[in-house]
Amino acid sequence: MLRLLKITGQSLSPEYQEGDFVLISKIPLFISTLRPGDIIAFHHSTHGTLIKRVDHLLPKSNQIFVTGTHPSSIDSHQFGAIKQQDIIGKVLWHIQKPAR
Amino acid sequence: MIYRFLETIDKTFGIEKAKAHCDIPCGIYDPITAQIAALTVVRMIDLMTDLENKGGDKNKEYFNTFSRYVNIKEEHAEKAKAEIRVIWGDYLKAQHLEKYPDTHNLVHKIMQMGSKARQTADRETAVLFVEAINEFAQIFWETKGIATKRAKAPYAPALELVYPAL
Repeated sequence: MLRLLKITGQSLSPEYQEGDFVLISKIPLFISTLRPGDIIAFHHSTHGTLIKRVDHLLPKSNQIFVTGTHPSSIDSHQFGAIKQQDIIGKVLWHIQKPAR
Repeated sequence: MIYRFLETIDKTFGIEKAKAHCDIPCGIYDPITAQIAALTVVRMIDLMTDLENKGGDKNKEYFNTFSRYVNIKEEHAEKAKAEIRVIWGDYLKAQHLEKYPDTHNLVHKIMQMGSKARQTADRETAVLFVEAINEFAQIFWETKGIATKRAKAPYAPALELVYPAL
C-alpha cells in the first residue's frame, strides 16, 4: 500500500532533488483520478522505476503523458505516454534532503 | 531528523530508487567557466597594457601579438555571457527567481557589461564584469544550498572569485 523511494537524477529539479525521499501509494488512484501536476512513480520497461510529473491525461486511452521540469528530462517526449497499470503510486509525502 | 533516519535505513537495508532521469548533461551547471572567462578578459587587458608600455617598434610582431590579445578578450567575454545565459535559461526555475527576484536584472547587467568589455579596453569595466558574475555565482550556489567563499584566483590577475565552500 505504501512504498518508500529515494530519488536519483535531477529531472524534477529544483522541487525534487537527488537524494530526496518520497512516500508513495496507489490508494489515491482508487479514490480520484490523476491531475496535471501530480507526481507519480511508475515502471518503465527500459528505464526501470521512474518518477515524473503528470502533464496531461490522454482522452479515451487511459494513458498518461509525463514530463520532468528539467529541459533535458527523459520523459513522455521520448518514450511516449505511460499506461495506467504501470503506475506504482502517487507521491503522498516528500522528504527533502536538508540543505548543507 | 526524519531524513537522517531514512538515510540510515537506506544505508543499512537499501531503499528502492526512483529515477528522475535526464539525458546529458543533466544537472551539470557551474558558473566557474564564466568566472574564469571573465577573468581572462582582465588578463588580456593587462597583457595589452604591458605590451603598450614596453615601447619599441610598432612592427608586425607587435600588431600580431596585440591582435591576439584582443581576439582572446573578445572570445572570452562572449563565452562568459553564453555560460551565464545557459544557467539562467536552463537551470534557474521560477522558485529560484521568486527567492532571488533581482536575478533577471543581474543577468541583463552581465550581458551589457560583457559587451562593454568587448567594445573597450577598460580594465575597470572588466573587473566589474568579473564581480557581477561573482554575484551571479553566489546566487547560483545558494540555490543549491551550498555555502560559498571568496578567494583570490591562483593565477594572474588574481582577482577574487566566489567558490563553493565544499
